[in-house]
Amino acid sequence: MTMIKTKDLHKKYELGKGNHVHALRGVDMDIDKGEMVAIMGPSGSGKSTAMHLIGCLDKPDSGEVYIDGNRVDNQYNGTLTRIRSREIGFIFQGFNLIPTMTAVENVALAAEYAGASKRDAHDAAKKAIEQVGLKDRMYHRPSELSGGQQQRVAIARAIVNKPGVILGDEPTGDLDTATSHEIMDMMRDINITTGTTFVLVTHNPEVAEACDRTIRMRDGEVIDDGRESKPESRDLDDELMEVGG
Amino acid sequence: MRIIRNVFRRKLRAVLTISGIMIGVFALIVMGAMAEKITLLVDGGLKWTGDKVTVSAGDGAMGGFSTNPLSVDKVNEIEKVDGVAEASANITMLLSEKQSAMTMGMPPMIAGGDGRGKDYESFKVRYIDGREVKPADRGKVTVGADLANKLNAKVGKEVTIRGEKFEVVGLMEKTLTAPDSSVYVSLYDAQRLFHKGMPDMVRGRVNPDTMATGITVFIKKGYNPEKVAENINKEVIGVKATGPKVFKEQIGNSTKIFTSIIFGIALISLLVGGLSVVNTMTMAVTERTREIGIRKAIGASNHAIIRQFLSESAVIALTGGIVGLGFGSLFVLMANAGNTGTPLFLLTIRLMGGSLGFALFLGILSGLYPAWHAAKMNPVAALRHE
Ligand SMILES: Nc1ncnc2c1ncn2[C@@H]1O[C@H](COP(=O)(O)OP(=O)(O)OP(=O)(O)O)[C@@H](O)[C@H]1O
Ligand SMILES: [Mg+2]
Repeated sequence: MTMIKTKDLHKKYELGKGNHVHALRGVDMDIDKGEMVAIMGPSGSGKSTAMHLIGCLDKPDSGEVYIDGNRVDNQYNGTLTRIRSREIGFIFQGFNLIPTMTAVENVALAAEYAGASKRDAHDAAKKAIEQVGLKDRMYHRPSELSGGQQQRVAIARAIVNKPGVILGDEPTGDLDTATSHEIMDMMRDINITTGTTFVLVTHNPEVAEACDRTIRMRDGEVIDDGRESKPESRDLDDELMEVGG
Repeated sequence: MRIIRNVFRRKLRAVLTISGIMIGVFALIVMGAMAEKITLLVDGGLKWTGDKVTVSAGDGAMGGFSTNPLSVDKVNEIEKVDGVAEASANITMLLSEKQSAMTMGMPPMIAGGDGRGKDYESFKVRYIDGREVKPADRGKVTVGADLANKLNAKVGKEVTIRGEKFEVVGLMEKTLTAPDSSVYVSLYDAQRLFHKGMPDMVRGRVNPDTMATGITVFIKKGYNPEKVAENINKEVIGVKATGPKVFKEQIGNSTKIFTSIIFGIALISLLVGGLSVVNTMTMAVTERTREIGIRKAIGASNHAIIRQFLSESAVIALTGGIVGLGFGSLFVLMANAGNTGTPLFLLTIRLMGGSLGFALFLGILSGLYPAWHAAKMNPVAALRHE
């Protein structure tokens, strides 16, 4: 079952005076439900841009994006906001959390944005915090937490609404190797126990190693989708999927 | 709580911005309390003239002398007119015999009345010391608040008025109107003083006992004073009756202008405070661009972003408003307590509520643009911001 599918995504950024960057030049991706996929590639190759389009943070100039079989790139902004809050969890690199809020408040915020009452949001946030092993740091502000602990809070925030997809843009980028492993293990654990699909943009080969497969990008294109071999039947399957969904 | 923490993220800036609103509300409370007091006094004055008709000598009716007095006899004639409850003869004249050079405000006056119509009078003057002058008094005077110092008047002591000695029997409280710059004597004494000051040629022909410069007419309940004034003009010869309308319009207009100026000054200072809120919120939005990007990424709707920044500016304004209201009220109460005479300020619920409400309104208004600016940010661009 396909969870995320992109077709021929193009994205240009205007730099003014007729200059522009062609960030994506026809990106096709296909990620199964429950898969944990790494996206690697040189700086500027369009990894973040592609992730933002999958995450409904931006719209492509052309091409299509499907989440769980539903086309999302042509939806209204309000719909995209709702999809972001319920279907997708984000983990970014560093400065992820709101500095004036405690760990549990940061997590609860995502639940509130998804429509939960303050009390329900708090309860769900507590549970998520416990799940990432930060029960004793629940009422600490981000400035009182280590980088690894902050990233765990970000993971708790990403899972609090039980989304189908979690997107990480260099989630271990600021962490040392040991902490990086810790975070990676935690995400892998969530991936296996909940079946949540993970897409992680990373420069770290060890992170990619821990994933099911690695999609490689260069100059706005996917140069390797990481599947060992590409059976002919797969394409056919996808064609059928689209007609059906 | 979260909102307050966000507001105080930059403590000094928050305190400065709140101070801006605080000063504005402080000014609005203090100056507004002054305006409220004036409005109250004028409203009192308007009520007073509201049901009264003033009668002066008819033009040229008695040979064309402008100083020609009315006759006290007219009081009886006027009281026969339908709608008149009671009429009171009085004499008013300048305190100094010589027309003094330009003076600021109202010139000092001498007034004497026959004491009639008291039950109908709504404008009550209070006394710091002593009592009011009675119709039967001879050589007794009460002194208005502004003249007490000038004449060095104390109850029981003598003052000299137009060359005559008078014993002070009362000192009036400040009213912020005409009585402050007047001395009051009995009608009898006023008639003598007026008679003495008349040109020799005329003086012999008039009897001081019947003289009056004006008659105040109190109207019965349910009658239109303008109508009654008309009837007096028709039925009583040699007098000119004026209804309260003319008065009212004059007084009403000038106080409106005055209170507008006072409120205007206070509102400007509050607006300046509001601008500093705009400035602070705009800076906060810029500084927190990445935070806005993250909020949007985790599912904040544009409404949620707008609501957040509006609440922050509302909290700033409300905090400033409450502190300003506190200091302003304290100042007004202390100023009133420190002032012997009539209080200068009047703190009303509508002023306090209005000031706070306006500060809050201004806070929300000031937050609108920054909040909208934050909400319409592109989440990707905001996330790339460092
Ligand atoms: N908002 C933007 N305005 C202009 N150019 C942009 C914008 N966002 C991305 N770009 C450009 O698009 C290209 C792809 O950017 P993107 O951030 O997707 O790269 P990346 O693969 O994530 O790189 P990195 O590994 O450094 O994060 C780059 O050349 C970048 O400069
Ligand atoms: Mg990137």
